[in-house]
Amino acid sequence: MLLTLMVVLPFLGSVAAAFLPAGARNTAASWATSVTVACTVLVLLFYPEVQDGRVASVRFEWLPQFGIDVYLRMDGFAWLFALLVSLMGALVVLYARYYMSAEDPVPRFFSFLLAFMGAMLGIVLSGNLIQLVVFWELTSLTSFMLIAYWYHLPDARRAARMAVVVTVGGGLCLLLGVLMLGAIVGSYDLDDVLAAGDAIRAHRWYPTVLVLVALGALTKSAQFPFHFWLPQAMTAPTPVSAYLHSATMVKAGVFLLARLWPALYGSELWFWLITGAGAASLLVGAISATFQRDTKGVLAYSTISHLGLITMLLGMNSELALVAAVFHMMNHATFKASLFMGAGIVQHETGTRDMQRLSGLAHAMPLTATVATVAAAAMAGVPLLNGFLSKEMFFEESIVVGGATGLVITLPTIATIAGAFSVAYSVRFIHQVFFGRPATDLPKTPKEPTRGMLVPSALLVVACLLIGILPARTIGPVLETAMLSILGANLPEYRLVVWQGFTAPLLLSLTASTLGLSLYLLLLKRRATMRPTPLLSLVDASRLFDVGNVVVVRGAARVAHFFFTRRLQSQLLAIVGIALVAGVAAFGGVGWSAGDQPLHPLDPLFVLLWVGGAACAIGAAQQAKFHRLAALIMLGGAGLVTCLTFAWFSAPDLALTQITVEVVSVVLLLLGLRWLPRRIPFDDPRRRTPRARARRLRDVALALGAGTGAAALAFAVLTRPNGAEIRDFYVDNALEIANGRNVVNVILVDYRSFDTFGEITVVAIVAIIVYALLRRFRPAPESIDVPRAQRADPSPPVGVLDDPLPRGYMKIPAVLVRLLGPMAGLVSVYFLLRGHDAPGGGFVGGLVMATAVIVQYMVGGTMWVESRLRIHPQLWIALGLLTAGAAGILAWLAAKPFLSALSVDLHVPLLGDLHLSSVLLFDLGVYMLVIGAVVLMLVALAHQSLRSPRRTQFVEETADAQAAEEAAETSTSEASA
Amino acid sequence: MEAVYALAIGVLVAAGVWLLLRPRTFQVIMGLSLLSYATNLFIFGMGRLEIQRPPILSGGEATPALYADPVPQALVLTAIVIGFATTALFLVVLLALRGLSGTDHVDGREPEQ
Amino acid sequence: MTALLDHLPILPIAVPLFAAAAMLLVGDARRTLRYSIAFGSLTVQLAVALVLLYQTTDAAAHIWPNGIGVYEIGGWPAPFGIVLVVDRLSSMMLTLTATVALAALVYSTAHWDRPGQPFHSLFQLLVMGLNGAFLTGDLFNLFVFFEVLLAASYGLVLRGLGTARVRMGLHYIAVNLAASFLFLIGVALIYGTVGTLNMADLLGHVEALPPDDRALFDAGAWILGIAFLVKAGSWPLNSWLPGAYSVSIAPVAAVFAVMTKVGVYAVLRLGTLMSEDAAAATILGEILYYTGLVTLVSGMIGMLATQHLKRLVSYSVIVSSGLLLASLGLGIEAVTPPVLFYLATSVLTTAAFFLLTGMTDRTRLVMPPAHEPDAQGDILPVYMAFGVTSPDPYGTEEEVGAAIPAAMAFLGLMFVCCVLLVAGLPPLPGFVAKFTLLSVVLETAPVVGARNAGWVLAVAVLATGIVSVVALTRIGMRLFWSPAQRRTPRLHVVEAAPVAFLVLVCLGLTAASGPVMRFFDATARSLHDPDTYIETVLGSRVASRTEGDAQ
Repeated sequence: MLLTLMVVLPFLGSVAAAFLPAGARNTAASWATSVTVACTVLVLLFYPEVQDGRVASVRFEWLPQFGIDVYLRMDGFAWLFALLVSLMGALVVLYARYYMSAEDPVPRFFSFLLAFMGAMLGIVLSGNLIQLVVFWELTSLTSFMLIAYWYHLPDARRAARMAVVVTVGGGLCLLLGVLMLGAIVGSYDLDDVLAAGDAIRAHRWYPTVLVLVALGALTKSAQFPFHFWLPQAMTAPTPVSAYLHSATMVKAGVFLLARLWPALYGSELWFWLITGAGAASLLVGAISATFQRDTKGVLAYSTISHLGLITMLLGMNSELALVAAVFHMMNHATFKASLFMGAGIVQHETGTRDMQRLSGLAHAMPLTATVATVAAAAMAGVPLLNGFLSKEMFFEESIVVGGATGLVITLPTIATIAGAFSVAYSVRFIHQVFFGRPATDLPKTPKEPTRGMLVPSALLVVACLLIGILPARTIGPVLETAMLSILGANLPEYRLVVWQGFTAPLLLSLTASTLGLSLYLLLLKRRATMRPTPLLSLVDASRLFDVGNVVVVRGAARVAHFFFTRRLQSQLLAIVGIALVAGVAAFGGVGWSAGDQPLHPLDPLFVLLWVGGAACAIGAAQQAKFHRLAALIMLGGAGLVTCLTFAWFSAPDLALTQITVEVVSVVLLLLGLRWLPRRIPFDDPRRRTPRARARRLRDVALALGAGTGAAALAFAVLTRPNGAEIRDFYVDNALEIANGRNVVNVILVDYRSFDTFGEITVVAIVAIIVYALLRRFRPAPESIDVPRAQRADPSPPVGVLDDPLPRGYMKIPAVLVRLLGPMAGLVSVYFLLRGHDAPGGGFVGGLVMATAVIVQYMVGGTMWVESRLRIHPQLWIALGLLTAGAAGILAWLAAKPFLSALSVDLHVPLLGDLHLSSVLLFDLGVYMLVIGAVVLMLVALAHQSLRSPRRTQFVEETADAQAAEEAAETSTSEASA
Repeated sequence: MEAVYALAIGVLVAAGVWLLLRPRTFQVIMGLSLLSYATNLFIFGMGRLEIQRPPILSGGEATPALYADPVPQALVLTAIVIGFATTALFLVVLLALRGLSGTDHVDGREPEQ
Repeated sequence: MTALLDHLPILPIAVPLFAAAAMLLVGDARRTLRYSIAFGSLTVQLAVALVLLYQTTDAAAHIWPNGIGVYEIGGWPAPFGIVLVVDRLSSMMLTLTATVALAALVYSTAHWDRPGQPFHSLFQLLVMGLNGAFLTGDLFNLFVFFEVLLAASYGLVLRGLGTARVRMGLHYIAVNLAASFLFLIGVALIYGTVGTLNMADLLGHVEALPPDDRALFDAGAWILGIAFLVKAGSWPLNSWLPGAYSVSIAPVAAVFAVMTKVGVYAVLRLGTLMSEDAAAATILGEILYYTGLVTLVSGMIGMLATQHLKRLVSYSVIVSSGLLLASLGLGIEAVTPPVLFYLATSVLTTAAFFLLTGMTDRTRLVMPPAHEPDAQGDILPVYMAFGVTSPDPYGTEEEVGAAIPAAMAFLGLMFVCCVLLVAGLPPLPGFVAKFTLLSVVLETAPVVGARNAGWVLAVAVLATGIVSVVALTRIGMRLFWSPAQRRTPRLHVVEAAPVAFLVLVCLGLTAASGPVMRFFDATARSLHDPDTYIETVLGSRVASRTEGDAQ
């Protein structure tokens, strides 16, 4: 339970801190301190338990199907790291309280810091690999936030992004590796995985797993070739550098390698991969560190190099090396964090990190100088300091393992060279910053820092000394517990003593020291250390990253143009083409074949009919560009032929509907024509380019293909027998149950009335949209003034409002049409009522009525009709929908499902027997809706023609409508042109 | 008859597709209308062709085999209506585009040379 | 009350319809009334959806056998009448729709719905169309509801007009009209060959077909499939998607997040009901895997290419449907539960993200037009590569962080959450979805390994993660971390709350992923056992025949 608390507490603390006001510096700091201290205490509480080899653990069920529980376990190794994380956390928080300037909004800072600590504790305590990955990514995220804490600095932004991309990428690789481990072992539990080492090494996936896990670890621990993000990350506030980027987060990678060591180690690949990367980082880091100008830069590169040392040890496949690795993790954390704090102090008091300007600070800040010097000595591996011990072990291992792997010379040489450079940069760091004559041109006059900043780093230095002098008493037992928890029985013999006599390792480290010193003196004399690192500085990681960025974006943009077209034609082309392919592909197996049904004898009249129809279709296709009216008429022709065909093949309802729809849509299109630009046929050079020809050819081919395909499919079906089950049911029950004779209509309003229901909804929707669109319709400027036809018209303008009839030649038609109106209404009602037994129905009825209204328009003129029109379309639409819906719900009263038919037979005096049915009600709804919708569309469209005469006024009203529009647009800032 | 019927569908589809791939909005809407004729005929054909057998019950007793398959007819009715509605919508939208962009090209701007 | 309970399945369709009609009658002036109608309707729908969800679980096995409820509209039994079928999948989709729609509606009440626009009616009708599409058990009726939701979406895309919207709207409409023709032809062919329109009735007839008739049927099924792929936004039929989604206003785009999934739903639903082998989860089988993969890649490239947040989210929609299609295309039964989990999370994610863009757009002073992103595609990286660096890299300049205003802090937090969701990083459910998917793929890798399909997919899934991080950090930094060109927007609670709500729902999914995944397991089981579905839908024939005679 305490374990859970240990992980949860920091997160809670982080949330709490986030809600503190930006100014609450002390509250935030003390809050963070108490949280970290509490965690430290919690960790310490567990020591007795882990010391005698037991494993504290707690488990909650989370996703059992996939074998994933929230499983926290703490063994010796985890304990050691948990202590490191929490203790270091406490110190850094204390330090940060004084480091961060007063006006900084520190609550945010501490909130992220605590969140990170929680995530880090989560990593070290994870008993389940997936869970480990979860916390792993969380640390990447929090480190992103902390690096970019000063996000107003461009460098900080870039560094943060670089870090997160690298580490998250590594994390994803790790995820895949872990998933594969899980697949191999059959469980994600750390215990099982560690137990199944041999199975894993034997599995054919082993190499892949190894590489993936290594990618995760190396990116996190900033190992070559992924080391470049770490120096960039130094733009973060120094406490962050001390905590995340030297002591803890970058240790997560090596921690993981050590954690999984029993499961993965022991193969050639492991050695070459891990030790190789380690060695590279060791050298690159050490050399670059020697040439940095930025104090934090020196420390950053030296961190890379020391992590390289640890990685190398981990890769050596020897238990002793593992011990040395873990030992050095601790030592490095202590002295490096202390050094970072020192560098931070220097920057805080002098205002710069530029080693060219810093000099002789020892006079101004002796205490800081002492502390830093000792820490640096530990980094250089001077005897009586902890760095010395682990470094000796490293040298020893390099000799032993070098002997074992046939790299007798190579490994020790690498080790010595790196050692030499580490001495060089340590000496340089101290010498140039603290010694020499005091600098004069510093931004601030240096002085000792407040105790709060000095104490943490001093404490760490004390730790270095204690461990360095009395290793066996201090770190000894802890280290042993840790190693036991990893290695168990095969923990090798090792001695933590300062003096081991004149051994080969000692010799090596002496050589290294002398080399290092001489190297530094040599370089110093020529001030070479201020030059950018030879060779290595040629690759500027940050610049590469940015250029990579540009390349990615530009490349992607280029490719995206291939993937996503902005032209409608290409999209339609794709759809048609793919449909064609699919249709053909279906017959790949058996091939197309006509059925064996007897065909109907050919009727010449029908053939003739369709010769005309085809002519119309083709004509329309060919004329649509330049002669729209002609094309429209021919379209009507084709429609007419279609409708005759329906009549021919015993579908009177279809014929009726088709013809009425035909009328209405042609009228609509005619109304629309008026707003389209005039297009005079001319010989456009663009149409004669080979590309244009090719395009047209392609389209013709596609069109023919589609046509043939459709024809073939249709013919294949037409010549096959019909599955009649459904039809029989419909016909059988039409009269008895649905009591209607017109089966089609019965289907529409009863069997499948739900389709009709949806269909009228569509009509309603479209009407609403059309209305809304046209209310804000803006005709193109050139088509606003009165069209030529009307200008040529000599007769006086039609539709003077108070006339009973329009003047001029329209008088006679007007009279006829006026008479026609009521009759049309009558007919439409008749269609509605008889629909159930004979061709007709609500829809046709509605359309007839609507057509009547249109005719009034055409003859009477827009203004005239609108002044007299008593239809409120929106009302009709709404009522239509409601009526149809009500007809559906009516059934509930009889506890029948939605849209079930209810009927009552009434005997009404005079009228006789009436058969009332909810079906009729439904059809009435359809009727009303259709009238409303169609009239609404036509009125809205026809109304536009009023805009040209009353142009100015219209423009004004749209003008302020537009203005309001713009305002709204900008206020809501919808992304529109 | 079946062959002619199928051919008719074919011609309508071909003309429709050709227009669908043209750059002018009016051509496209023409194409859509032609295609909707074709589709309606196609659906209707799925009930096979019957002459002189409208699915309107005459006698009291109903022998299904005597009537054309009413289902496709009902489907076509729905399809006609929906097709009509969407065509109307498309018309208005193309007018709006024409009004706003000043051109009747489907992409709202004339293709550059 | 019990009577009403019997009619629950129709409510998700009837309620929004009545709401829409009622709002048409209410004048523009009375906004509050319209809000309350719209809000009420959606809350009812959410409640109904949840009840239905409960009724399909094993906990309520006594209500519906096998967790499948059949509602015979007009009292006509399947396969003759149209039936609504509520099973786990459809009820889940209903719940998602209601949740997202509710959030979007609340959001829209902050000045996104200016009077004079039939916004709320169209919104309700769109939801009605979605619900209908998820509920119906009849092919042609599915077409009708597709048309309903498309028609409504046409209106909503165009909402606010402006050349960009109208142009994209025109493309969107044209493409979908073409797709609708394909849909009709496909359905017609299917009816012409097997003589039925009821989804549950198909399989029986299909198995009986002679091979050359079978070819006709397949042609129909595939053409139908293409219509679905257009909706699902699969390459190369998805060029309309980024444009249409990124020009439509935030709340609309949020609901569109569900709309894309309708295509996936249809592919999944019909696939399990049309093909003999239970494993093949789709109509198109093999091909779907490759289509999905290409779609996935195209989406990722789009994400990398664009500088416009809303557009980027649209591309992430493409990525997610690509991922869904590809995984379904693997033809592994075990993959279905994670896929469903991913579907759910990606819907919520996209919705939340689109809503968020509505607010972040406001922080921008100069706005790149949504429809021409690639025109100035390079600006930012160029600036990053060759532009500013700190004058003195040695920390001499003032290192004092700027306090973040609460509004920005909220937006930032939500943005981070959305990024985590899209990238599939912990601790949000995107991660759960991805690793469950991957673990299934890897466990079955030996099986699939022959084609290495599993591996390719696994890599692609991880690639989406890193690509999203790269693309989104780039935009996010410009949004939140370049205070120079930013202004802090005024946030309305009604805008902020829905986003937070959706993100919280996601967190809930993570926390409860155990039980949720168990539900999806059950869903997958019933999906891959079509016989039960068929028996339940057609079996009720006998019962209601007699009822029919009673009429």
